[in-house]
Amino acid sequence: MGNDDYALIRSILAGDKDAYGPLVERHSQSVFRVAFRITEDEADADEVVQETFLRGYRSLENFDARSNFRTWIYRIAMNCALDVLNKRKNQTAVPIAEEYDEGQAAVQLADRAAGPDRLLLSQEIQARRHAAMGKLTPTERIAFVLRHMEDRSTEEIATALGIAPNSAKQAVFRAVQKLRQSLAPLWVKS
Amino acid sequence: MKHLTEEEMIEHYYSEDLYKADAEIHLQACRQCSQSYEELGKLLGSVRGPEPLPRSSDYGAQVWQSIQGALQPYQAKQKRSFFQWPQLAYAAACLLFLAGAFLAGRMWEHAHTKPLLATSTPQQTKERVVLFVLDNHLDRSERLLVQLNHAGAEGEQVDLPLRGEAQQLLTDNRLYRQSVAQSNDPLLTAALDHLERVLLEVANSPDELSAADIARIEQEMNTQGLLFQIRVLRTKVSEQKLNAQAIGKGATL
Repeated sequence: MGNDDYALIRSILAGDKDAYGPLVERHSQSVFRVAFRITEDEADADEVVQETFLRGYRSLENFDARSNFRTWIYRIAMNCALDVLNKRKNQTAVPIAEEYDEGQAAVQLADRAAGPDRLLLSQEIQARRHAAMGKLTPTERIAFVLRHMEDRSTEEIATALGIAPNSAKQAVFRAVQKLRQSLAPLWVKS
Repeated sequence: MKHLTEEEMIEHYYSEDLYKADAEIHLQACRQCSQSYEELGKLLGSVRGPEPLPRSSDYGAQVWQSIQGALQPYQAKQKRSFFQWPQLAYAAACLLFLAGAFLAGRMWEHAHTKPLLATSTPQQTKERVVLFVLDNHLDRSERLLVQLNHAGAEGEQVDLPLRGEAQQLLTDNRLYRQSVAQSNDPLLTAALDHLERVLLEVANSPDELSAADIARIEQEMNTQGLLFQIRVLRTKVSEQKLNAQAIGKGATL
């Protein structure tokens, strides 16, 4: 796979633009999956995928033959996702309904014994998880998604984000701590 | 017993801790840490992101279609050769420029030096040569007279190579005197004649001149006066030589 990717890259750099097609087709699904998990929005994820492969093509001359194309394109995808998150953060405020209010939480989750209540709790957890994720910095969010949902190692996260492994580990710790602070009251009440 | 920190628990949860077995043993032994770890596990286990909506099998082809138009093909890197035409043309232009500048310089020099060279007659050239050698001769003669006068003033036995020097100068002086005799310069002719007599006297003197011999020569030959004459002549000849050199340089420009 890796050698095949590199052969295609050499063809592209030799002037065969169409050789990029197989690379895009081969890696689009995985880039979309991680982009969606980070952005949690289909349109944003599609935008990230397109931007990633555009940037990737334009930076192909800088691709190091010793690197893995998948890792390299992931790193570009993370940068694109960061841009989307930053843009989103600047444009919109967190919806009021999703803001966490500990006082209200106790009231809303006081009784959860019945089946519908269980369902309600699950929905509540997801809503608060979404809100808590929104409170993470873009780096923390990506580090957590890659660690928790994509099951990537600290080294892979560090490479994708272009930071030191220790910084990647700290980003995951901070993300977990913040989520814990936001979601722990739900568990106490349940 | 040292409890696990939150960071260690998170590392353990993601199986990234260096001492996994130690952490396991501690969690089995410590109720407090075990409870905290269980809460952390429940919390993280509940955090599940929305599952990505399934993309069609031709999703990659769709992405490729959407970006294909915005991509410019890379220019294939050509092997650089020094002998490509732009470099050759540049080198040829430089050579032509240098050759042109050289030829223009030569032509300009010829155009400006020919008239001057035409004004420089063989007679003037000969005069410049004569002035040059005469200046040299007068210089040597002056030094000999100075040595002679100083030796006489010290009043001791003189052991200087004056005799050999005088013999050499005597031969030259005869030639110059004959040459100058043809020109209309009575002062120079008289001075060279006077000098010849002094040189003759010194050249024919004994190997070691005594102070008395020198004093006699000085007195009879008036070497002090001759020295003055020679100095005046040297100044005059030097000026003539400089003028002749200036004319010569101007002619070659």
